[in-house]
Amino acid sequence: MPATTQAPTPTMYKYDAFDHAFVRDRNKEFAGQVARRLAGEITEDQFKPLRLMNGLYLQLHAYMLRIAVPYGVLSSKQMRKFAHIARTYDRDFGHFTTRQNLQFNWIKLADAPKILEELAEVEMHALQTSGNCIRNTTTDQFAGAARDEVADPRPWAEVIRQWSSNHPEFTFLPRKFKIAITGATKDRAAIRVHDIGLHLKPSGFDVYVGGGMGRTPHVAPVIKRDLNPEQLLSYLEACLRVYNRYGRRDNIYKARIKILVSALGAEEYGRQVEEEWSRLDKAKVDAPAAEVNRIKSFFPDPAFVDGFDSAAFERARTADAGFARWVKNNTNPHKRDNHVSVTISLKPTGLPPGDASSAQMDVMADVADAYGYGELRVSHEQNIILPHVAKNDLYTLYEKLDAAGLGTANAGKITDMIACPGLDYCSLANARSIPLAQDISQRFEDAKLTDQIGDLQIKISGCINACGHHHVGHIGILGVDKQGIEFYQILLGGRADEKAALGQITGKGLSAEAVPAAIERVVRLYLDLRTSETERFIDTLERVGRDAFAEALHEHA
Amino acid sequence: MSTPKANSTYDAQLVTNAGDVIPNGWRLLADDETHGVDGPVVLGFDRALRELDGLNGHYGVRINPGDDVRLLEPFLDKLTVIEVAFPGFRDGRGYSTARILREDLGYTRVLRAVGDVLRDQLFYMLRCGFDEFLVKDKDPAEAVTSAAKRFSTTYQGAADSARPAWALRHAGV
Repeated sequence: MPATTQAPTPTMYKYDAFDHAFVRDRNKEFAGQVARRLAGEITEDQFKPLRLMNGLYLQLHAYMLRIAVPYGVLSSKQMRKFAHIARTYDRDFGHFTTRQNLQFNWIKLADAPKILEELAEVEMHALQTSGNCIRNTTTDQFAGAARDEVADPRPWAEVIRQWSSNHPEFTFLPRKFKIAITGATKDRAAIRVHDIGLHLKPSGFDVYVGGGMGRTPHVAPVIKRDLNPEQLLSYLEACLRVYNRYGRRDNIYKARIKILVSALGAEEYGRQVEEEWSRLDKAKVDAPAAEVNRIKSFFPDPAFVDGFDSAAFERARTADAGFARWVKNNTNPHKRDNHVSVTISLKPTGLPPGDASSAQMDVMADVADAYGYGELRVSHEQNIILPHVAKNDLYTLYEKLDAAGLGTANAGKITDMIACPGLDYCSLANARSIPLAQDISQRFEDAKLTDQIGDLQIKISGCINACGHHHVGHIGILGVDKQGIEFYQILLGGRADEKAALGQITGKGLSAEAVPAAIERVVRLYLDLRTSETERFIDTLERVGRDAFAEALHEHA
Repeated sequence: MSTPKANSTYDAQLVTNAGDVIPNGWRLLADDETHGVDGPVVLGFDRALRELDGLNGHYGVRINPGDDVRLLEPFLDKLTVIEVAFPGFRDGRGYSTARILREDLGYTRVLRAVGDVLRDQLFYMLRCGFDEFLVKDKDPAEAVTSAAKRFSTTYQGAADSARPAWALRHAGV
């Protein structure tokens, strides 16, 4: 804990009486529904849609509660609440997801209302984390901090959060609906593989519609450029209305908006949206400037400290190679020269990606208070971010994280994998994801090799629903079930950034045992072929083509 | 313990947005049935589009989820009741239909939700402009009145009179 000073107040949105009332009403309603279920007044079938609206899933072994972390932004106080919930109601850990949310996998139904009550105390809830509604809007984990940021997406994510909460027209969409926003040059929010991707620029929003993964992956086309931000909500309302009316409902696998946009063509879909938009009473839908300004006022810069003792920093880097490596891999350039954004890796060797123990959550909350202005983020890569850290504090921060098993220096590297929960938890999965991720991370445990390989994203899904984003991994891994045996198909060449592309399947599936060695062959080939250390895996792959890599992948050992 | 009876197994009763249970004087006409000059009958959507032009008086129409409500625009002054069908809980097209009728086409007479209408949908239906519900519930009147006050905060402008949080926040400005 910070020894002397009071915990800092993070610069993030704070509930007012309206927001508190909304969550309170919703929790009261759900507590009643749980009581009716426990008393046997309603059946599991009747209860299912009600619990799903409140983020409660029934998985293979237990109930899972998915808590919304709005656009991935957390206060230290909220993180401590997660630790408390993990300790009190779960098995002492939680799982951070690719949707910037948190899941507890071992929840008792009778505890759910009490947990939601505890969450409401820290302005959180589990609403709209499942069901065919507008889900949590996601954004750049370095928003408000990154040096390459052009405009801050967080206020707009909050504007969308409120507009999409309990939306009367869009709660029974053909399928779930996910919106992502970025305001930076580099797209760290993967906007083009979302139902709607918003790119905020000085001239307004570029709107991409109809991206997605799953069975039929699509990179979203742009349907509108330079949308006036003041008209964002009415434009979104028009996009959603066209989808709600004309999206397919006869086949769950063809119900996402990507199928509609692809069937109509981007131009025709865009035309229908314009037509609908022109008929909307925009003044009724668009939040007025006073409200947008009110929301923006919650996101000022923190009271940044001045100064940087570069001599001391260099001494620490020279003395401690582990620290030097962590600084190189796990910090991102900040808009202030004497600050950085820090990635706390939740991908240590051999442990499930995205998991954190309650003790680790407490440590992260404490270091956020002591060195991070009280604020944390969840990244869609399933890591935790301290968006603002003064460089003078980096070494102390590193030592504290490392002591808690949180000092893994692999952000963006081959062992920083995304993996879905897979067959260990999920009732949809065909194959295990987490054990495979663990095997791969053991294969590349050697720090020198990891650093030599540089930036390389592996993404693993345990089934075709693609929760592990395998379509956009530089190397994607898809678990399939062939007559009761788990196999893994390997994809090459996907990326989720501003040059978004889908990976292509290469050859036959491999057994779980064969995958780590096959990936190592691909990586060794890359190291042989690259023109310099600055040519990343994805660059080499795009330069020389997939064939050589596919051959290495399927070569018999 | 006895298995509870699903709400969806109760007979549908017609309830107004004020929570009054009222008799339903309207009947859905089969497509091959003849209608009178001014009968309290509800026409199928395609038939309504074909015949309303030549009809005087006041009729009802049934809109199914795939029907484009905007095609009714020329005939709205001949309609007293519009029924929007919700064949299943999960099909949300009727919410858009209702808002288009109320907010875009300016329809002001009775707008009725029929079909698989359960208490958990009523809040959304009220906000989208429905004023009558053919609802299946043990206590349909209570279902409507409790839905109306389920949330004190709403975040969007819609077809009802509720003001979004942003309007209330800046009411004095």
